Amino acid sequence: MAIDIREDNLKHGVLGLVLALVEIIRDALKIQAFKRIESGILSEEECERLGQALMDLDIALEEIKEEQGITESVQAVRDGLDDIVDGVIDRIANPERWREETKVGS
Amino acid sequence: MEQEKGRYLYGVAASESAVRLGPMGIEGCDVYTIPYGDFCAIVHNCPTEPYQSTDEETVKRWVSAHQGVLDEAKERFGAVIPFGFDTILQPGDEATSPDQVVKDWLKGDYERLCSIMEKIKDRDEYGVQIFYEPGLIGRQIAEQSQEIQKLKEEIATKSPGMAYIYRQKLEKVAKAEMEKLADSWFKDFYGRIKPHCDDIVIEKTRKADGDRVMLLNFSCLVHKEKVDSLGRELEEINNMDGFSVHFSGPWPPYSFVAKAVVSIKGE
Repeated sequence: MAIDIREDNLKHGVLGLVLALVEIIRDALKIQAFKRIESGILSEEECERLGQALMDLDIALEEIKEEQGITESVQAVRDGLDDIVDGVIDRIANPERWREETKVGS
Repeated sequence: MEQEKGRYLYGVAASESAVRLGPMGIEGCDVYTIPYGDFCAIVHNCPTEPYQSTDEETVKRWVSAHQGVLDEAKERFGAVIPFGFDTILQPGDEATSPDQVVKDWLKGDYERLCSIMEKIKDRDEYGVQIFYEPGLIGRQIAEQSQEIQKLKEEIATKSPGMAYIYRQKLEKVAKAEMEKLADSWFKDFYGRIKPHCDDIVIEKTRKADGDRVMLLNFSCLVHKEKVDSLGRELEEINNMDGFSVHFSGPWPPYSFVAKAVVSIKGE
C-alpha cells in the first residue's frame, strides 16, 4: 500500500500527533492534580488556581484543534493508541491466547 | 496451462457431484467442483499467485464474485463451508496434478470437514450489534444517582476553578456508573441471545457513527428454525429506551470455520 504524502497531509499528521501527545500529558497531569486536591494538602486558593489552569489548558487545546482543523486526526491518533493498549492488555490478561498465536505463526 | 496450476478455493459443499457452475467466478473464471467422498471443493483454475490490487473497486468486485459463487453453491448444494478470499491450493511438485492436490487435501482433512459440516448444517451466520445512546442513558443515571445530584449542587456554589474540578469529578463518576451498567447490559443481552444460537463469537466492538456507542458485536450461528425467535428477542431489545439493534444476515458461517482456514495454510 503506497503512503500518500502531501504537504497539508503531512502537516495534519504531525500536528495531530503532537496535539494527541499534549492531550495525553494533560490527562496524566489532571490525574495527579486531582490526587493532590483530594488528599487535602492544597489550600482552597491553590485548588482554585490549579482548576483554573487546567481549564485554561483545556480551552487552549480545543482552540488549537479547531483553528488547525485537526480535531479528527487527534482523535484518530488517540483511538489508534487506545487500540494498541487494548490489544496489549488483552494479551497480558489472557495468557491462553499466546499459545494459539504461536501455533498459527508456526 | 502452465499459468493455471493453482486452484482457487471458494468453499466445500456437502455433495459428491462433479459439476460446472459456469463462468461466474472471479474475473469470469469457470467455476466447477472437485469431489472426494461426500464432499466437493468449489474451485476455479488460476495462477499460483494470490489476487491482489490496490484498486478498491477491483477488490470489491472480486470479493463480491467470491460471495456470489458461495450463494449459488448454497442454493444448489445446501450446506457449504466458506473459505476466505484468496485461498489457493497449489501442487508441491511437478508430478502431482492440481486437481489431485485438492482431492488429497479433502482426503487429509476429511474428518475435520465432517465435523464442521455437521456444525453448520441448516444454520447460517447472523451479525448482531447492539448500540446504546450515552446521552440519553447519562441523563437517566444523573437523575437516579444521589452522588451525582450532590456534586451538581456543589458545583453551583463554587468559584470557576473549583467548579471545573468538580465537573471533571462528575464526569468520572458518571463514566464509571455507565461502565458498570454497560457490563450488566452485556451480560443480560448475552443471556437473552444465547438460547437462540448454537454458537456465538464475541467480536471486537467498533466505533459507531453519531451519538451511539456499540455495546456488543456478536457473530451468531443460528439454526433455520430459530431465526424468527432470535429476531423477536432482538426486536424487544430494540424497543428499549436508549438502545438500538443491528441485525444482519444470513451470511456464510465464516466466523465458525475460520480456524480451519488458518490450519490449512500451515499445512
